[in-house]
Amino acid sequence: MDRRSFLKATGSSVVLAPAVFSSQANAQDATIQFAGSVPMTGAASETGLNVKFGYDCAVKFINEKMGGVDIGGKKHRVTLNLFDDASDPARATSLIQKQVDEGVNFFLGSFGSNIVLPTCAITEAAGRIMVQAGGGSDLIFTQGRRRVFGLFPRASRQFASTAAMFKTLNPQPQTVMFIYTNDAFSKVSAEGASKELEAAGYKVLNSIALPAQVSDVTDALGTVRAANPDILVCSTHDATSILIARQMVATNTNVKMLYQTLGPQTAAYVEALGKYANGVVGASYWDENAKYKGSIFGSAKDFAEYYRANFNRPLTYHMASGAGCIVAYVEAMKKVGNVTDRNAIRDALAGLDLETFYGRIKFTSQGDGDPVLLGPMVVQRQKGDLAVVYPTEAATAPTLYPALPWQDRT
Amino acid sequence: MTMRIFLLLGTLIVIVLLPQFLAPFHIRVVQLFFFTAALALAWNVMGGLAGYWSFGHTVFIGMGAFAAAHFVAKLGLPAGPLQMIAGIVFGALFCGIVAAIIAYPILRLRGIYFAIAMLGIGQVAAELANNVGWFQGDVGLFLETALPDGVEPERFFYYVFAGLFLFTWMVSLVVMRSRFGYGLLAIREDEDTAKMLGVPTEQIKAFGFTISAVLVGMLGATYAYSLGYFTASSVFRIDFSLNMIIYCLIGGIGTLAGPVVGAALMLLLTQIILGQLLELHLLATGLVVILIVLTLPNGVMGLVGGEAFRRRFSMRAGGKAR
Amino acid sequence: MRDPHFPDRQAMLIIQTALNGLVLGGVYSLAAVGFSLIFGALGIVNLTHGIFVICGAYAAMVLFHVFGIDPFLATVPVAIAFFFIGYAYQRGLIQVAISRASLVASLLVTFGVALIMRNLLQLVFSPDVRTITPSYSFSSLTFGSLRIDIVRLIAVLVSIVFLLLMALVLSKTAFGRRIRATAQQPLAANLSGVNVPHVLGQTFGLGAAFAAASGAVLGIVQPFSPSSEDFWTLNAFIVVVLGGVGSPSGALLGGILLGLISSFTAQFIGPSYTNAVMFLVLVIMLLIRPQGLLGSAFGESR
Repeated sequence: MDRRSFLKATGSSVVLAPAVFSSQANAQDATIQFAGSVPMTGAASETGLNVKFGYDCAVKFINEKMGGVDIGGKKHRVTLNLFDDASDPARATSLIQKQVDEGVNFFLGSFGSNIVLPTCAITEAAGRIMVQAGGGSDLIFTQGRRRVFGLFPRASRQFASTAAMFKTLNPQPQTVMFIYTNDAFSKVSAEGASKELEAAGYKVLNSIALPAQVSDVTDALGTVRAANPDILVCSTHDATSILIARQMVATNTNVKMLYQTLGPQTAAYVEALGKYANGVVGASYWDENAKYKGSIFGSAKDFAEYYRANFNRPLTYHMASGAGCIVAYVEAMKKVGNVTDRNAIRDALAGLDLETFYGRIKFTSQGDGDPVLLGPMVVQRQKGDLAVVYPTEAATAPTLYPALPWQDRT
Repeated sequence: MTMRIFLLLGTLIVIVLLPQFLAPFHIRVVQLFFFTAALALAWNVMGGLAGYWSFGHTVFIGMGAFAAAHFVAKLGLPAGPLQMIAGIVFGALFCGIVAAIIAYPILRLRGIYFAIAMLGIGQVAAELANNVGWFQGDVGLFLETALPDGVEPERFFYYVFAGLFLFTWMVSLVVMRSRFGYGLLAIREDEDTAKMLGVPTEQIKAFGFTISAVLVGMLGATYAYSLGYFTASSVFRIDFSLNMIIYCLIGGIGTLAGPVVGAALMLLLTQIILGQLLELHLLATGLVVILIVLTLPNGVMGLVGGEAFRRRFSMRAGGKAR
Repeated sequence: MRDPHFPDRQAMLIIQTALNGLVLGGVYSLAAVGFSLIFGALGIVNLTHGIFVICGAYAAMVLFHVFGIDPFLATVPVAIAFFFIGYAYQRGLIQVAISRASLVASLLVTFGVALIMRNLLQLVFSPDVRTITPSYSFSSLTFGSLRIDIVRLIAVLVSIVFLLLMALVLSKTAFGRRIRATAQQPLAANLSGVNVPHVLGQTFGLGAAFAAASGAVLGIVQPFSPSSEDFWTLNAFIVVVLGGVGSPSGALLGGILLGLISSFTAQFIGPSYTNAVMFLVLVIMLLIRPQGLLGSAFGESR
């Protein structure tokens, strides 16, 4: 008895397994099956859901709006089989293994490097491909994996464009201070940023590490007031970013620029801070006003419109990144002309250099996003909207610097 | 007696041959079962037999993992089976030493206070591992697996965990049959009376605690090897601590089979049956836990074996102490 | 090199840190007192505690957004609602589990309910981070170089009022006497004509009410999401062990100690070490005085 027929035999005892087999049978004729996990519950679920909505949006668009995608002269529909990893690496690994067993070839990523890393080790070992927009840790890309691609540049390189933006400011800032969450991703990106800024001639005053769950940052802000840096960079999760900003307002702690990697992009942030969100700077890997366009979705604007017409969850760049993963896959498959040759598709992904609604998608030789092309744009909340302020060619508004003191913001 | 030997042999053969018939996913689930069942058994030595409920046993998973990773890194041992064995043995020993040191002060506490103290110790260790730069718990540590050529990782770790599970089972069995095990039960039934009757309760508790810690440390180090890359948050996890308790309670606390049955049942539910329920699996798991408490107050083993079973496994010594 | 204002500035920093700690501690106290009461009187380790707190925050959020009710005022209806919810929960589920199995079964049941509720909250409110922002949430008071944000100050005052209220209820009213009697000697209380199951349910309800009210206060002070519930359960654990089980004054003392510990650690060692130090103090405290600073009432520890 071979493995597959045994599985089928046991399938009846293992609820729901038969359903998976039927979808796999279809995978041969004109469907492309994507699978993977996202955190829909647990600590990473807020952003995890954002990424999931991006995946959903791309699938819906390809199937309903385009009526499938033309690959090798045949229309292909797209199926998506996601499960909830509950932000738990152990759960994610065993369930990813299940999908590997079921013959899934093309994986989409979870959110959070601590989940992406062990899961991509499994898909890599099984010769399957993963394209993800949720794991930025350097380790994902520096251990010689050939079939793991990330739309984001690795963590230590994500600050390059922001450092360049600081150079354009007038008057030139002199001093920078960091607050970061003490986890793998935030710490590595803060350290990368700190090195980058010191090399660029800025004085890095102090770095404050925060625990993952914070209820009060009054004391850290006391240190900020005492050091009085020109720029405060927060490499923190969105809940912490909100807390920091709120308490900065409440304790009247002013800096010339507040930069928060995650937070200002989200709707929750604006809801929490109202007018005080104006002037806060953040990173965004995509903006709907950017001038990119591609064969799927059309322009960035078109994507945003389609998304808003079909989904209720407020749009952030994570949706675009999620959809971008599927777009990258499909574009690579179009080049290859079939959806079965894993090696050819892998090579096509590695060689991809193509403008899409998300930007020009191009991976480094190690699989992470090209730091210049796919690095973050710098955005700033201005009059309630998110304006792109850097790079200059994509900018929709000039940077407001120095920012007004909190009580003068409108 | 022959019956038992046949049973044991049969179990061994099933364990050895099982992966030939399973898909990798199911191998991984069974591997997870061996791991969690062994954890529950190890917890059961103190929690079930002596009645000392630890809410923080994950501290030994984490310490075992960190000790193993730093040990092999500091010694610069080349990756390979020997390195893995060295790491796991060191992880286990390290936990044993730490447990022996903290045993005396911490075991003076009883009941919920012991439980909370262990919770606290678990949190302190986790926070230190995460925040003291030297431990590298925030950025994560690597352990290279020594995979023999041509063996898939899930099969390899299946057999490793199966071995550790059997080892833990044997240790539990020996403990339960020994004078020392009766001592633990006597402590559970009435510590003060036991002490008065000349049972060296202090030593017995400390020894039981250390055994439990060594077993969990060994499992923790192996778990770290199976992950390959881990951070403090992947090995110091409150849900590990809670699951050990819950598996024991659901299966039947203080018995040998209970923790194993509890782990099997809960894994079957959470990984296989409820794994497909997207946003609802937490809810479903919660419901199952509540239903089990309400319908099977003595755990599954209480239902299966009835009164006779419970007497044989858990009450035999308990009756003596009364 | 030498800062002429150095000693002054150092003193001010210490005063500011102490002030921050006191303010934080007041809020922690309120969040823990319900847990303390339930643990002290019923012996139940209520793993649903954090859920009550977070539910209180969501309830206040809904009342604020839909009806425009100020979150501090919302504490009252929220507390009343959760009194009944807590009562029903104890009588309908926890007591059943305890009588069918044992006291420890309550641990499992509350764990199961916490899982369910966390899941439901995620479904209803999404896992996103929420905040409640009344108009005054960005103001602060300044005394010289000392600063406190007003929200936190009010939160502390409200917490203290609630704690006083509970202390009064427990010590002065017949209802409070019944609770204390039941906690100390359920059998004797029963013989004296106390309806013990009813009182146990009421006690649980009271604990739930305070937890939810504290959630309404916390919702203004800091962002919350369904997954922050376990943080509040753990916090309550620490406060109760530090201060002692079952009394409002113990919770107040424990909360303030916890607040001071975390703010001094954050200021002088580093914010990421606050949890480590908090739990270290917890363990040391257990070893030298397991009944807590003010505790003595219920249960044996050694």
